[in-house]
Amino acid sequence: MKKLISAGIAAVLSAALLTGCGGAGNAITVISREDGSGTRGAFTELMGILENEVDNTVATAEISNSTSVVIQSVAGNESAIGYISLGSLSSEVKAVKVDGVEATVDNINNGTYKVSRPFNIATRDDISPLAADFVSFIMSADGQAIIEEKGYIKASDNGAYAPSGLEGTIVVAGSTSVAPVMEKLADKYKEINPSVTIEIQQTGSSAGMTSTIEGACDIGMASRELKDSELSAGISPTVIAMDGIAVIVNNKNDVENLTSEQIKGIYTGTITNWSEVK
Amino acid sequence: MKGVFLISACVSVIAVVTICVFLFANGVPAIAKIGPSEFLLGKSWKPLENKFGIFPMIVGSIYVTAGAIIIGVPVGIFCAVFMAKFCPQGLYKILKPAIELLAGIPSIVYGFFGLMVIVPVMQDIFGGSGKSMLTASVLLGIMILPTIIGVAESAVRAVPESYYEGSLALGATSERSVFCAMLPAAKTGIMAGVILGIGRAIGETMAVVMICGNQSVLPNSITSGVRTLTANIVLEMGYAADLHRDALIATAVVLFVFILIINTLFSIIKNNKE
Repeated sequence: MKKLISAGIAAVLSAALLTGCGGAGNAITVISREDGSGTRGAFTELMGILENEVDNTVATAEISNSTSVVIQSVAGNESAIGYISLGSLSSEVKAVKVDGVEATVDNINNGTYKVSRPFNIATRDDISPLAADFVSFIMSADGQAIIEEKGYIKASDNGAYAPSGLEGTIVVAGSTSVAPVMEKLADKYKEINPSVTIEIQQTGSSAGMTSTIEGACDIGMASRELKDSELSAGISPTVIAMDGIAVIVNNKNDVENLTSEQIKGIYTGTITNWSEVK
Repeated sequence: MKGVFLISACVSVIAVVTICVFLFANGVPAIAKIGPSEFLLGKSWKPLENKFGIFPMIVGSIYVTAGAIIIGVPVGIFCAVFMAKFCPQGLYKILKPAIELLAGIPSIVYGFFGLMVIVPVMQDIFGGSGKSMLTASVLLGIMILPTIIGVAESAVRAVPESYYEGSLALGATSERSVFCAMLPAAKTGIMAGVILGIGRAIGETMAVVMICGNQSVLPNSITSGVRTLTANIVLEMGYAADLHRDALIATAVVLFVFILIINTLFSIIKNNKE
């Protein structure tokens, strides 16, 4: 019995050593988000990974369904690459320059960093006065301050908000990415106008647009540009904030800059080794 | 007062029936719409292009569970034997609560442990991302230990002491008596524990989703990533709409059938024992 066990342990250890010596060199570990995620949608579209409605993300890409797991995976793996919302960037990982431009709020504002997406709200033309007042609050200096506080980029330079004294209920539905900042906005608005109730439903961008068109909600949220079919159905978009998408690598990775062609190559599987992009 | 007891008894039955009805009412039409063979045997899962093939996930679930059994069962059984036969009283008082605690740790905590501890170790040994079938199997192997140890220990304890003493009297060593006389007698009980462990492993979600890589392709080695049925559901439920959502519920139907099979096996083995 003892011989058997020690033989087993020896076999396992030597197998581990043998494979360990092989190593994997500098193969890139590609980390992506799940299908349907707004971040993935925007990233694949901006980088040209999405072509003719077909998402060409390489099938062997690791899939994570939350920003924190993407950060954790990249932080723990020297050869990994991932992408996250700029608002969630932390010092655990390194954001690379895209086409030589650093991922900062300023560069998104002046349009040089192109990997960004709008946070949209959509409204019908026959919007209620109360909902319209909430929209004007979001676009006011007070509303935009909350957006900047949450790590996004403001989209308007309007002046301060003047309370209207209206009352009633506003229903907001749509993107789960926009919802957290919308909740903060709603809290602040309710503080100023205590007799207003705001109901926020996290249904996803597409469902939010459909509800707005059908009149099931007053304001729809989308973490992407509106589609032509949605615009022609009689809703109009307002950009309430911009969210950058940072391409992140491990802190120990000495790659500082990637071109969008290289990022596309990595995510579609034509570039598989870090030595090809150095 | 009897009524209260009856209602309490009904609650769980009603819950099971409601879940069944919900799953099958939503899932079966989706399977029919996608096509049963395309759904179950399709190798491509691309919801945005209306390709819903869960074959890689079925294979992934089976592989990961098998790996967990290979790792967890020997350790679990040896541990159970030790606890029942060789463990000094003092050590037992520490071991038993420790194993019970292992069963009580939330699976998300296991997931973080896997991500922070097992994944880096796997990276060092095998290179690559460290998120693989093997990583998931190791973690699940640990997670099913308390289930297997608990059931196997009571099975070993239930074997009459005379088996052990008889074997000793024939000149066998203590180890040999335990492994060749007592373990075969406790076989059905141990099998029941293993099957409960399989059920636990195949249904595990939060821990696995963090460490298995989640690629929806057929794995080509034990160090490549896999996506399990449970991971597929939890990954995409948040954003899914229409047929995509129904396809995820249909994935749950498949998982439910797996669990039904496992539970049936469990009852068959238990009945054989009696």
